[in-house]
Amino acid sequence: MSFLLSYLVLATIYSIAALSTNLLVGIIGIFSVSQAAIIGVGAYTVALLAGVVPFPVAMLVAVVLCALVNVLLALPSLRVAGDYFVVTSFGCQLVATAVFINWDTLTGGASGIVAIPAPSLFGFTADTPQTFLVISTIALLAACAGFWLLMRSPFGKIVHAIREDETAVLAAGKNVLRAKVSVSAVSGVYAGLAGGLYATFLNFIDPPSFDLHVSILILTMLVVGGARTLAGSIIGPFLLLALPQLLNLVAVPPTMAGPLRQFIYGALLIAFMLFRPQGIAGRRL
Amino acid sequence: MLFLQLLVDGLVSGCAIGLVAVSFSLYYSTTRVFHVAHAGIYTLGGYLAWYGAMQGIPFAIACALAVAGAAFAGAVIQRFLYDELERREATPLVMLIASLGALAVLQNGVAMLFTPNILQFPNPWRTRMLDLGIASVSYAQVLVAASGLAAFGALMWMSRRTLLGRRIRAVASNPFLAEITRLGPRSVYLAVMAIASAMAALSGIMVGLDQAMQPYTGVLVLLTATIAVIAGGIGSLTGAFVVAVALSVLQNVALILMPGRWSIAATFALFVVFILVKPEGLFRKR
Repeated sequence: MSFLLSYLVLATIYSIAALSTNLLVGIIGIFSVSQAAIIGVGAYTVALLAGVVPFPVAMLVAVVLCALVNVLLALPSLRVAGDYFVVTSFGCQLVATAVFINWDTLTGGASGIVAIPAPSLFGFTADTPQTFLVISTIALLAACAGFWLLMRSPFGKIVHAIREDETAVLAAGKNVLRAKVSVSAVSGVYAGLAGGLYATFLNFIDPPSFDLHVSILILTMLVVGGARTLAGSIIGPFLLLALPQLLNLVAVPPTMAGPLRQFIYGALLIAFMLFRPQGIAGRRL
Repeated sequence: MLFLQLLVDGLVSGCAIGLVAVSFSLYYSTTRVFHVAHAGIYTLGGYLAWYGAMQGIPFAIACALAVAGAAFAGAVIQRFLYDELERREATPLVMLIASLGALAVLQNGVAMLFTPNILQFPNPWRTRMLDLGIASVSYAQVLVAASGLAAFGALMWMSRRTLLGRRIRAVASNPFLAEITRLGPRSVYLAVMAIASAMAALSGIMVGLDQAMQPYTGVLVLLTATIAVIAGGIGSLTGAFVVAVALSVLQNVALILMPGRWSIAATFALFVVFILVKPEGLFRKR
């Protein structure tokens, strides 16, 4: 039972992460393989602050910090287009992992941070999967509502137009720079939220939780579920997180389990790009 | 003389990174596909050669077989992934995500076949040292530098002096015109992919011989290589090679000032500043 509950909690957290990536990759068209790094910043911030300040304050700091960092990382995309930014994004991810591992006085190095306190809100502590599921579901619903409202607003129309034809939007006198920065900030907020929830749910974080493989995993979730739609960002995580559980049924040596899982994610990326680039419930990428 | 030793080490590993950089640059400037899976081909080459060497095959033959195998793998990716996607008029984003998928498949395929642990070549001569007076290098390092320079020279000769080289440059400068003059861009792309993959694999083998191998280190090498490609100016093979060597020397010499674990971050920070100031690169031809 608690097995199923943990799966549900993680799926809601990854859905928020997928929404964050969706805003960048699907909505505004900034390719990113460094979302795990931003989530990591959020997770480490909450992990370090959780015992010091109340949970909502720690979360707030993480969310603001992630918004700032995400805008900072997306800024080069304003000047350098397309493929150049891929290099920047890869670089950010690798540098972030190097920082998580090597700044050991702050991050605990390769062994990570243990015994992160469970979140407590108004005297109510979410230390079981049941109670945590309530918190993470509320967070996901809020994230979905934000995403939905943003996409329906006039601002959302501008953002879609920027992806289709940036020059045309610029010529129409719209502020492209402000739109890109705003979307990056919102995406950073979502990543911070996901990171903070991740750290307080598992009570433990380490550098591999936020490395390139995780970025690719989140991208796979987005692509399989379908980019640019709300439903896609939720279907993807729920489907892909079930995969490790299925693999547990097959006898795979524990050292092979990780590579096998990532192999399957890679194969899924290729298959979806070839045969259904819009994913299960997405729109044309 | 620590400085001279670091300088020589930097020059040697620069030749290996330079090889990845020129091969990536050749493929990218011809096809405009950002082939991230190149890092997987680099890894695959090293592991194939290691497997051959473990079976007792002489190193030179194992090396040749591995290069051929990697070229074949690259050709398969070109024919069955990139060509297919292009036929379906996929956007660059879709191509990129597919390439990322191919990278994951290659790296993890290697990890499943050969374990994710660190592996070393069994050949005992690889660590034997050669004294150059100012610094000493291992036999493996000599091979790294020699193979890097030879392959770079061969590529430059091929590009300038042969019919295939001329066809590649023609397709790169105008694929549409090449199509209607029946130069066959598809077959040129396939040839370019095979050549680029062979070069990346050669680099992967030599670095594996010199140091050790792990399935996931290719991404870092490719990142340094792509930084060199962009900083050298897209389309300039010499620029890519020279900047790759310079970056590698810089990373090695910087060891005097800071621990090696921060050198990636420093190189990358330098790159971000560079790309914002001078996005067209150093050697770009007009």
